Amino acid sequence: MPIKWVLHWQPNQGSTVSTQILNEVTQCLESINGVREGRWKATLNYYKPIVRDQAAAYELPRDFLGISLAEQPSKYYFIISTQRIILEADASIQMIMEKLQSYKSRVTLYFEGSQYQLGDFRLRVGKVVPINSENLRGIVMEVEYLPLSSMEKAKQVMYEFLEICQEALSKRSLPGYFMHIAPNFGEFGLSDNYSPQHTAVQYAFIVAHLIASVQAMRN
Amino acid sequence: MQQLQPSPLLPQQSPETATNQPDSAGGAAEAPPKQVARAMERLNQAARVIADIRLGADRLLEAMFIAAQPHQSDKPLQIFFKEDASIRQHLRDLRSIGKKLEESGVLTESLRSRSNSWGLHMPLVCPDGAVVAYAWKRQLAGQAGASAVDRTRLALKAFTDQKRRFFPHLDDGLKVEPASKKLCASKLLPEHGPDELSECKTLSDMQSRLEKLVPDMKVSTYGRLNWLERANSLPVSASEDSTEASKPIFQSSSKLRSGFQQTEVDDDKVAVIELYFPSVFRAVVSVNPAGSVDPDAVAFFSPDEGGSYIHARGFSVHHVFRRITEHASTALQYFLGLDNETALYSLLQWICSYETLFSKPCSKCGKLLAMDKKSALVLPPVHRVYRELPTVVTKTREQNLDMEAYHVGCFPDCS
Repeated sequence: MPIKWVLHWQPNQGSTVSTQILNEVTQCLESINGVREGRWKATLNYYKPIVRDQAAAYELPRDFLGISLAEQPSKYYFIISTQRIILEADASIQMIMEKLQSYKSRVTLYFEGSQYQLGDFRLRVGKVVPINSENLRGIVMEVEYLPLSSMEKAKQVMYEFLEICQEALSKRSLPGYFMHIAPNFGEFGLSDNYSPQHTAVQYAFIVAHLIASVQAMRN
Repeated sequence: MQQLQPSPLLPQQSPETATNQPDSAGGAAEAPPKQVARAMERLNQAARVIADIRLGADRLLEAMFIAAQPHQSDKPLQIFFKEDASIRQHLRDLRSIGKKLEESGVLTESLRSRSNSWGLHMPLVCPDGAVVAYAWKRQLAGQAGASAVDRTRLALKAFTDQKRRFFPHLDDGLKVEPASKKLCASKLLPEHGPDELSECKTLSDMQSRLEKLVPDMKVSTYGRLNWLERANSLPVSASEDSTEASKPIFQSSSKLRSGFQQTEVDDDKVAVIELYFPSVFRAVVSVNPAGSVDPDAVAFFSPDEGGSYIHARGFSVHHVFRRITEHASTALQYFLGLDNETALYSLLQWICSYETLFSKPCSKCGKLLAMDKKSALVLPPVHRVYRELPTVVTKTREQNLDMEAYHVGCFPDCS
């Protein structure tokens, strides 16, 4: 499947994300001839185990995530970042977990926004909002290059494309920039060929980063 | 608007007895615009029927292909019968449409000289299949001459554009300054060429030489039907190890058919050559007639594409590979124009220079990606220089196949 980089908005020191930044970004994409194609949505859940014995809970990993991706509606992806585990499951696993009362979702985040086509590139820009809230927690951007599926071969292309995007964005003097965290996919057992698992891992890293920066701000 | 004059379709109708109202004899006394409209409609119908016949022919070929596999039911036979009946019906329809068109003067020039049809002429189907329908506006006799000049000018412009696009080297005679450079290219071949090129007369020679030159690439040859089978079996969505998966899928299915194994295709049946650079691109070259070394078409595709549209005259779904395919067609014409015998080898060598498509920056602007203003697309350098292609293999591999790369807009003499 085509390779994809998932980036998140890194606000400058002292500033925060806002809907206005999201609007500016979408306008900017349209200015470099992006064609709006529709909307997209992904969901991320942080799970906590439901155990009677509290002590047992400490043995189970705390960073157990589940992600449902827009382009794989029939699948669900589990990630435990600290142990470098990624697992693909059928989407019905969520219902099974609920019936078994094994794990409960303690935080749910939605990623939703618009999708754009720019020649052989496909871009998705979206806001990060918790469930039942309109509080914008972050902005993510997915950049996909359709002709290639080898991450190694597409690295240079993606890097230069992002330079083009950043250049267009810098004209609008926004207080921040898009940052790409490149996880070590090899540690997760993933190969050079791109797959939905790669996307799930990138989202896990982004959310971890967002949470860490929010905590850093609080302290 | 002038009153109706006797229709040119019924020559036996004398002017005195002509009426002004259209009578019930079919389209005989219809006003010329209606005749033109009706003729255009019939031509469209004919085009649809021809498309149906083509589809039917595809299905027949598919049925034959399925029938060639062992352990089949009589399903292919049923498909044969069905398609046979359906194609015959289509052909009958086509014949009747053709008759009607003939009667209304579309397929012949018999009515063109008649001047009493408001200056309108029936659409004419030229021998090469082009349909010429005359516009309403050109109804006055006086304008007929002017429109002929217009049409000629438009045709000349269209041909010149095409020539510039596909045969740029034919302009050489007109320019004085670069002529000396181009002469050098043609002189280069006999001086340095003979030893190496004479060794590359057969396809297997070329294949082994290229595989030595470019170890990352895989060259495969196929008969025409074999290629269709391969194209259809190409994995469309990449799984974890798709580059390996594509080969076993093909090989295991070829084992099921005895005598259909790819390795056993003789040189004299080879019609399709595939150059596969894993994770970069797949190029398909067809030779015509099968078994010769005369290339006649080339196309580029993404390594992840699969399906029956993957062939030398097909087009990728990706813009970058579509652009390269267009550029490659021009290069092919250039190589054929230079020297027919070495055209295939030159083409294959030139295709190998695209190994660096996603890594080698443009020689003019130094970047890998650039926005092409005309099409509003961001593309890597899709142009590889094909003129004055070095044919000496004794140089190092990098020198030989490291052609200059350019973006569409950066290419020095792009029109």
